[in-house]
Amino acid sequence: MIFREVEDRDLVAKARKGDVEAYNLLVSRWEKRVFNYLLRLVSNREDALDLSQEAFLKAYQSLPKLDDPGRFGAWLFRIAHNEAFSMLRRRKPEGELPPEKGGVSRELLPIELSLAVETALGRLSDEQREAVLLKVYQGFKFDEMAEILGCPVSTVKSRLYTALDLLKTTLAPTILRGEA
Amino acid sequence: MSCEQYDWKAYALGELTLEERREAEAHAPGCESCREELAHVRLTVDTLSALREEEPPRRIAFVSDKVFEPRWWQAFLRPSFAAALVIAAAILMHGYLTRTSEADVQARVNDAVYKAVADVEQRNVTARNADYERVSRLYADATGVVRQ
Repeated sequence: MIFREVEDRDLVAKARKGDVEAYNLLVSRWEKRVFNYLLRLVSNREDALDLSQEAFLKAYQSLPKLDDPGRFGAWLFRIAHNEAFSMLRRRKPEGELPPEKGGVSRELLPIELSLAVETALGRLSDEQREAVLLKVYQGFKFDEMAEILGCPVSTVKSRLYTALDLLKTTLAPTILRGEA
Repeated sequence: MSCEQYDWKAYALGELTLEERREAEAHAPGCESCREELAHVRLTVDTLSALREEEPPRRIAFVSDKVFEPRWWQAFLRPSFAAALVIAAAILMHGYLTRTSEADVQARVNDAVYKAVADVEQRNVTARNADYERVSRLYADATGVVRQ
């Protein structure tokens, strides 16, 4: 992990000096994670791909503004988060209830458990779902999540813990079936 | 320490310090409710990991890809091109202004020459007239005849 951080920092430094190949390498390294994070947030593959593209392009243009090149990942996710929520705000009016189900294409998720998880995630609010995505699927620490989301660590924990409680209840029947 | 002080979600998610972990691990064996809570959190997190990660349908375009190369008209928007354009315009303007001022100088010189020639001619005429009057007076004094 430390080695990886050093590598990211080095690539950012090279990219800042105009080494486009160094940035291409950063894109290759992070694209799958960013795409999956955005996919679970916006529930549409084409939108997720467009947002990913936009996030990487904006990150490239803003590289000189990155204070700590060692935190490229969290900074990139912050940009992706802004892009995603900008789209989500355009999509639905303020205060609208979250969708009952996720919209990710089901034919690509054939396993029953995976479908149940997808559905359960779709029942969370956008903020709760994002907290789960960043922690459980992307492995960010609380302080990194606070940086990405632009809110205090206490808010991050509150969203995440509420989401985990809701998921526990929603997933209980599936879990019990699996255990039976 | 009461059970509420143990954050089992943070424990399961790897967010506790080493000291906090040790305290929690020392407490759990004697507390069934805490063990049960931890088990639920772990089960939920494990279940969540069943969600498959997807491959992007297409790779993200690199900034070096052709799609990001500027079109021909976008070259006009480049700062270097704009600067070159300004310099070229300045050179042309300078050339035009220089040519105009040379023409002005030439015109002023011509005017001055014409004026100088006219002055000289005027002086000559004046001098000739003065000579004529002087000669006429002398002729009148000598002959008593006044020339017109």
